[in-house]
Amino acid sequence: MSKRVGIVGAGVTPFKGTWREKTYYELAQMATREAVKDAQVPIQDVDAAFYGIYNDIFERTAIPEHAIHGLLGMQNKFGIRITTGGATGAYTMSAAHAYLAAGRFKTALVLGVEKATDCFDFSSMSATPEVIKSIGWSGDSFFEQPIGWSASDSYAEVVLAYKDEHPEDLKPEITAQISAQLSQQVRDNVHAQRQFDQVTAEEVLNSRLVAYPFRELEICVYSEGAAALILAEEDTARAISKNTGNPVVWITGVGESNEHSFAGKNQKDMSRIMSDHDASHRAYGMAGIEDPTKSIQIVELHDAFVHQLEISMAEFGLAPLGNADSLIEENLMTPGGKYLVNPCGGLIYCGHAVGASNIMSAWSARNELIKRNLKTALLHGTGSTIAQYTACMILEHE
Amino acid sequence: MSAKKERVIPSEYIPEVGSHVETIDGQDYLITNDAMYTFYQRTKGEFSPFFLSMRDDKKLLGCKCSKCGLVRVPPFLTHCPDCNFAPTEMIEVEQVGVMNSTPPITYFATSLFQHMAPYGRGRVIFNGADTAMSVILYTTTGILVPGIITKGTEVKLIFKDNRIGEMTDVFCVPTTELTQEQVNKKGLQESEIDWESPVEPELPEVSDKDVADYNAALKEIKSIIEEMNANERARKDIAGWKRDILIKTMGGRFAISIDDGNIELEERELTSPDFVMVCENPRTLLDGLAYRGAITDSVINKKLWISKNMEFNTIFKLDRMARSVARSKKI
Ligand SMILES: [Zn+2]
Repeated sequence: MSKRVGIVGAGVTPFKGTWREKTYYELAQMATREAVKDAQVPIQDVDAAFYGIYNDIFERTAIPEHAIHGLLGMQNKFGIRITTGGATGAYTMSAAHAYLAAGRFKTALVLGVEKATDCFDFSSMSATPEVIKSIGWSGDSFFEQPIGWSASDSYAEVVLAYKDEHPEDLKPEITAQISAQLSQQVRDNVHAQRQFDQVTAEEVLNSRLVAYPFRELEICVYSEGAAALILAEEDTARAISKNTGNPVVWITGVGESNEHSFAGKNQKDMSRIMSDHDASHRAYGMAGIEDPTKSIQIVELHDAFVHQLEISMAEFGLAPLGNADSLIEENLMTPGGKYLVNPCGGLIYCGHAVGASNIMSAWSARNELIKRNLKTALLHGTGSTIAQYTACMILEHE
Repeated sequence: MSAKKERVIPSEYIPEVGSHVETIDGQDYLITNDAMYTFYQRTKGEFSPFFLSMRDDKKLLGCKCSKCGLVRVPPFLTHCPDCNFAPTEMIEVEQVGVMNSTPPITYFATSLFQHMAPYGRGRVIFNGADTAMSVILYTTTGILVPGIITKGTEVKLIFKDNRIGEMTDVFCVPTTELTQEQVNKKGLQESEIDWESPVEPELPEVSDKDVADYNAALKEIKSIIEEMNANERARKDIAGWKRDILIKTMGGRFAISIDDGNIELEERELTSPDFVMVCENPRTLLDGLAYRGAITDSVINKKLWISKNMEFNTIFKLDRMARSVARSKKI
């Protein structure tokens, strides 16, 4: 019988476009210091470390976690790095959960950290093109990289294929409205990169087309930062909670799915994000959720692109596939609506410090569950080419 | 493409050894020019027959499962995981196929791909295949914009004249842009296609009011161009660039010439422009030049057409000039 696992502490650094003042060593330690302070547990009492770091090129070293293990106080203990593209943070939590549920450890540190804008393009004298180029090394190296694969064009492929099947859905005015709403929600997130970047739907619609159909204000922004959680198995979690006075937020469901990276018969259906569908439904199954529309109250969703946010919500079963615009048109996610989606502003406004992003989302979901006294949240991470990878979790607050 | 010896990393992208200090809140931070580089002599291994037959024989290969018969193109595996790893065999497939879904178009590429942008990258199911192959997509009709190639569009595989055994040896264009003979020909090469006959959008009949509007807009465009020509930042944006552009609008035609920092508007017809721009309403161009929305957006949204795909680059430069002038005013 596997053990229950819960979140008993969390901390994040500010997410910033660039952190000239800190290396990833210090960012990792900053978030860890916050998390152990929140859990009121000395780091010596933490049994194992799970590192979510996406891209070696961003950190400029091939085993980036080795150098932070000791400076986080984890010497002579278990340490493992998880890297699964954009879904790195969610998969790191999933791995930590499995070890704790199996009884291997009583407590674990989940630490996500990422640099990005140390990368620099000397021909345009700006960071962004080099960041995008560095992510471009993630595509298939024999068949896709040489012909200009990029993270945006691969997600655009999925969005355009969805629109082939549902031409009336994902209307520009709806995606613009969602982005504008997220920009309002981010106001309360003091760690967000764009806390004060409030925009109107009209401004979103007038922003530059970066990769058709994505506009500049509909795309997540690259960030640098770190996020950390302290997870514990049931008895330890209850003891920590008694000590801190903070309720445990339990991880009651976990689900993952990685699709095929090639499309066609028996492979990826480009018009779907089946990884989102399968991972979320596996997590519902484990949590005993029969009808997610009745149970899920908060969604912390990995919004790489607003259009993908809409498709993901449909794949989760929280809006009809083909009518994801009902999220706005039928007020499913508008303020006061059925679902509170990305109260932290999402990755579009809080920022996308890749390995840390989903862990930041978990930090936010936990805060919101406790603050609003709600019961159930769905957490999501997406990554790799054509939205290939997904990891989902159900968080519950007693 | 010239056959001159190229470096794996073009030298203009390689920074000099150096460092600088950035001061934030009174603290100094040291920032060092750096690179992570690794060179390869990388094998194409089991994919070698696929790449070699593309390079040397202008053939497209796939692999067919000996058990379920599924034909995968490209042949990215040797044994079928759906059939308990039954072996597959290489077969040749046709060089015409259909788009599996609507492809995205990259307009703003990183330094690695600027030389080929704007380009579509999409998945084609070639006749005889069950799975889709990612390919670069172009049109011979002018600028590549959304709507030209969509799900179900029939496309033809085109081979570059100089091939090196990479996926960049091939690309696709819609079969409707080719003659039947070309569609049927195996191993059709880039140089056999007519790239010099773009399909210009037709302009509607003009009224007196259109001509009056044109004259008013032209006056404003002229004054903006003059302002650009006098602006140091804007001049830098077109340093080393030389283009003669013929602009056709509903009310009339004019020319813009760019010559290494100089930009000029001339009210005359050009006989051999570098490219042609067509926009029904001259205010579309005016707005962009005045920094009211990007001209690149007008191109992508099909309000402004250009006759040569690669000249999107020039459009991007005009946007930058508009931004430079706007920024100079702010200070
Ligand atoms: Zn088979």
